[in-house]
Amino acid sequence: MPVRNPILQLDGFSFRFPESVEPTLRDISLAIHEKERVVITGPSGCGKSTLLYVLNRLYPHNCDGEVSGSVRLFGRSAQEYAPGEANRKIATVFQDPDSQFCMPTVEEELAFTLENLQVPREEMPQRIDQILHLTGLGSFRHGVIQTFSGGMKQRIATACALIMEPECLLLDEPLAHLDPLTAKEFVAWLSLLQQETGLAVVAVEHKLELWSSFFDREISLSENGAIQQDQAFTERGAPSLPKRVSAIRQEVLFEAVGISVSKASKALLQNISLPLRSGEVTVIAGPNGSGKSTLLKVLCGILKADKGTISGMRAGFVPQSPEQLFLSKSVEEELAYSGNPSPDTLHYLMKALDLKTIAHAHPFSVSHGQKRRVAIGAMLADGRQVLLLDEPTAGQDQQALAELYRQIESRAQDGCALAVVTHDMNFASSIADTVHLMKDGILSGPHQPEELFSNSALLAEYRLHMPKKGDIYAPAFA
Amino acid sequence: MRRLLHEMNPSMKFLAVTGCILALAFFFNPWTPLLFFSGVVLLQVLFSQTNWKLWSLAMLPFLIGAFGYFWTTLVFGQPGEGPVLWTIGTISITAQQWELAWSLSLRVLAFSSISLLFAFTTKPVHFIQSLMQQWKLSPKLAFSVLISYQFLPVFKTEFEQLQQAHRIRGTGAGSSPLKRLTALRRLLIPMLAGAVRKAERAAFAMEARAFTGEARSHYAEIKIGPKDYVLFCLFSLVLTLSCSAIFWA
Repeated sequence: MPVRNPILQLDGFSFRFPESVEPTLRDISLAIHEKERVVITGPSGCGKSTLLYVLNRLYPHNCDGEVSGSVRLFGRSAQEYAPGEANRKIATVFQDPDSQFCMPTVEEELAFTLENLQVPREEMPQRIDQILHLTGLGSFRHGVIQTFSGGMKQRIATACALIMEPECLLLDEPLAHLDPLTAKEFVAWLSLLQQETGLAVVAVEHKLELWSSFFDREISLSENGAIQQDQAFTERGAPSLPKRVSAIRQEVLFEAVGISVSKASKALLQNISLPLRSGEVTVIAGPNGSGKSTLLKVLCGILKADKGTISGMRAGFVPQSPEQLFLSKSVEEELAYSGNPSPDTLHYLMKALDLKTIAHAHPFSVSHGQKRRVAIGAMLADGRQVLLLDEPTAGQDQQALAELYRQIESRAQDGCALAVVTHDMNFASSIADTVHLMKDGILSGPHQPEELFSNSALLAEYRLHMPKKGDIYAPAFA
Repeated sequence: MRRLLHEMNPSMKFLAVTGCILALAFFFNPWTPLLFFSGVVLLQVLFSQTNWKLWSLAMLPFLIGAFGYFWTTLVFGQPGEGPVLWTIGTISITAQQWELAWSLSLRVLAFSSISLLFAFTTKPVHFIQSLMQQWKLSPKLAFSVLISYQFLPVFKTEFEQLQQAHRIRGTGAGSSPLKRLTALRRLLIPMLAGAVRKAERAAFAMEARAFTGEARSHYAEIKIGPKDYVLFCLFSLVLTLSCSAIFWA
């Protein structure tokens, strides 16, 4: 391997937010070299993103954090840089595709970067042409960014970063909002770009299975914000979850027949029928924008169906951000909000959902997993034994997925019927009793998971991928 | 010709519009605003491609407002002096009152027509860019306006989603207006929290792309040309003609 110069260097670096007692990052020493592809991993809240923001010099400048140790960027101490100066060489793409643009069209957005760099106006058209050509986005030059899909927005954000001609590209969970196939296409595209430009790439990520062999090095942080391991990257499959023992009972709790919904003469849902049995876990999968969320909202009565009937028990809905449901000031009040449950039921639910310890906490202040349990509890307390979960797996790390798995499992054992919308086929293959696929508002199924997950042609048609089983504790050395 | 007003330099247009509004405030006869209103509509007919259906719809609330002024001045206004024109029941309307009512309501129409002309022929992004280039508006301020403009559709979806989620908890739909209002208050805090989060992310994204609020170059150069001066004079002409009504009316 040729000798490479370090471009980003941390030495004994520690970092503490002014509002917290414990440091977020502890004694970090690392060096990132030219053209390297590095991934930073670790459990939620371990300081991965904070580390990234230190590398692009957004921290400690923007948060008054307490710092010790040194940060050197391209051989100069980070403190010597003027604001914005380091960002010319170190570009960043963020997680949320919706909040990183400030202009209406792709061309204007690219120009925004160049204007910041005070590139003379005469040079701009040429540089914009160049980057559009390099990234293959030429035909989208005058497109309105807000109308694009999440995957497209991330490509545009990357193009906007690359137009600075940086030497290092930082990515903060860039795939979190993309469906798996779109995510893989993005990774392949990025890999070509990296080869062509010779950038160093540093990414924060926990869905490593989507990156296949993209990275050459992995820095994993431990829960307390210290480096746990810094080693060569090995390709891996998704963390495996045990196959669930089915708890299906014969009783049909809920049945929708012939549901159709259209909006502005466009059919969103067409003639959908879906029975849900007690103890059954149904997974609904399909590409973004195929109508999955709309379907859940119709099933639980938030939206009205134009045609079709819904019978059986009332269905409860848990959105991707469960806090959207919250109306009260404490977890306990949240569960009791509907006014329906008896004290016994309430007591049972608090215990079954493990909410006793946070009974008096504000529902907005608890962790994401706890929020979801509160939301499920609120639905059950309202007598909604049919639970519809919208994208509960999105952006969740391994530990959170395992908790979600246990939660779904115990609700099914209690006799609830669950329908889960997810892109995560590994998760789906371990949790599902039945799978329905959705495309352009048409639902196909029921499919048996074993048959479906061995039929790659059918999966590809719905922009899904085969579950790749692997074990993180025993990575396959190729 | 039909694009002239759209292509006019937004800062110049803004100056012309503000100037007209300020000047009109000093004229209390009914003819000046009437002439001005007609002049503005004529300009817009000749030099812009306006969706007149949309324009009428936007004009409607102002029209209702204007009628309100007219009516209340007639019925509840000071009777004033001068001959009584006619009497309906206990209300007698004097010539002075009649003139005042027309003047007030036509002013509403004059102000709204010129504001709508600006709104219908100016792209917000161009306006902000022009303010930055012509009037040296600080980029920090300019881009915070631009970015909030980008966020509007995002907030709309977020608002709808929250409303839908709350509906399943049994708030909102079907209940009394008062209850719906309190339900709206519940949306406020999550919406604000979301806005703060988004604003922070956006600020980070901008700084990461080397935005510092310092001097910058401009890709879309927005200039002031001869045509802008001609149009400015045209606005002044309409204004002067309508103001001259005080001499002959």
